[in-house]
Amino acid sequence: MNQFSWWIDGSIVGVYLLGTMIAGLMVRKYVGKVEHFIVAGREMNVYLGIASLAATEFGIVTCMYTAQNGVRYGFAGATPGILMAAAMFLVGVTGFCVKPLRDSGVMTIPELFERRFGPRIRWLAGVVIVLGGLLNMGVFLRVGGEFLVQVAGINPDKLEITMTILLVAVAVYTILGGMLSVLVTDFLQFIVMSIGLIAVTMLILVKIGWKTLVDTVSTHHGAGGFNPFIHPELGWPFVLFNALLNLAAVLTWQTTIQRLLAAKDTRTGRKVYTGTAFFFVCRFLIPGIWGIAALATLGSTAIGGDTLHAMPRFLSTFAPVGLMGILVAAMLAADMSTDSSYMLTWGSVIYNDIMAPFRKKPWSEKKGLFWNRSIIAIIGLFLLIFGLWYELKGDLWAYLGVTGTIYLASMSTLLVACCYWKRANNWGAAGAIIAGAAIPALFLVLEQLPTTKELAKAIGPYYSGIAAYAAAALAMVIGSLLKPRGPRLSTKEAVNG
Amino acid sequence: MGNHWFWLLLTGAAVLWYSTVTVYVAFKGFADIQTMLKKLGKSPEEKP
Repeated sequence: MNQFSWWIDGSIVGVYLLGTMIAGLMVRKYVGKVEHFIVAGREMNVYLGIASLAATEFGIVTCMYTAQNGVRYGFAGATPGILMAAAMFLVGVTGFCVKPLRDSGVMTIPELFERRFGPRIRWLAGVVIVLGGLLNMGVFLRVGGEFLVQVAGINPDKLEITMTILLVAVAVYTILGGMLSVLVTDFLQFIVMSIGLIAVTMLILVKIGWKTLVDTVSTHHGAGGFNPFIHPELGWPFVLFNALLNLAAVLTWQTTIQRLLAAKDTRTGRKVYTGTAFFFVCRFLIPGIWGIAALATLGSTAIGGDTLHAMPRFLSTFAPVGLMGILVAAMLAADMSTDSSYMLTWGSVIYNDIMAPFRKKPWSEKKGLFWNRSIIAIIGLFLLIFGLWYELKGDLWAYLGVTGTIYLASMSTLLVACCYWKRANNWGAAGAIIAGAAIPALFLVLEQLPTTKELAKAIGPYYSGIAAYAAAALAMVIGSLLKPRGPRLSTKEAVNG
Repeated sequence: MGNHWFWLLLTGAAVLWYSTVTVYVAFKGFADIQTMLKKLGKSPEEKP
């Protein structure tokens, strides 16, 4: 039976929602310029950056998939978290790409690309980033709603209206306060989310016990449940693909980069990276443990093929009254911080890069703010129609992987070349964007066509993903070498304009 | 236990690190917000 008490747990959730709205709306008066709206006037310091980055990169959708990894692959499913933490720490320590990016003083990555590869590449990069990002984000709302329906026992018929109200609330403070509201609400949401995640994990460790979790993984997955290299469904292609994917995400995922660019200086931005790095282990391991606990409690027969909903099903009966309220508030916090940041970040690329050709003369701050706010409202509308009212058919994980790789493979290649390869030019950049997008898109088509379905299955998402990164890098090299040499500039001169 | 010690250590570290960092970031992050809003609240002439 569902444990959610509308009086006790509902009150906890209500207080959290009220506090978030008040905080989000209170800071809107500080927004006077586009720079305030997009990068918080570049006044963000380390600890606020850590809270904001952690809250943004953990949504309900993240929790659902990482828990699903726990059910399907045991502890080995948390490998991407370890790889992401390693990538983030190394990038933060060395300043690889992020130092020249932050030093350049740009507001988005495509803006940097314009200095090196010209305005057309900036525009094209903006389109790829927004397409990949928005399609990726399009499914967040429904997955979040499904979690809440399972855990809080909400009538499934009310899912659309509940999530619509929530999205409108998030959109209101994001539209009015931009990055400032996002940072302040992210901070509150980080605290609420963390309390919920830690409390539920502690309860699982105490009530179910470490030995039961380990035995469950051993029984269902054998040694492969502890080692991704020997898991029959994972292996080295999974590890290599995730290493590339996570490094690319650390370098170019727009929500992560926006925190770097909002930091008060480069040193602060790098500290945010090193300080948040280990969070990415928690991001995969903690929900992964929830997934393993679901497998231990419900059993594989009861879970059946629906591994995605095993964790919320388990939590709906496991968390006691009171903790259930904290859990729901935590998950709402996770979802709201992700939605607000994602709306703002893709909106900023649309305004800053895709609309750049329409701003022959600089716009007034008032006009710039109006357009930024309007774009976020339109993105909110898109989310409602695409993510909530439209039911996605097919495999959600493949969908997220493909949309992410379309963007990450080419953008990470462009960024590395832009910062460190003197010979890189617009021919190579255009080739990398096309090759990086074509391979994952082709894989998706092969998967859908009955005649090529088996071929796609034989190739698998990991080889296809690795090929996308290799092809983007190769296209950058070949395209750049094919173009006759222009005036010689050092990479530093080119990046700093 | 075999090679499970790795996951035991990692889980322990994750719970301990996350609990500690949450408390620390809660205090320091609040101070960051105050400083940020103070700076943004100043008129352009007042800024150094």
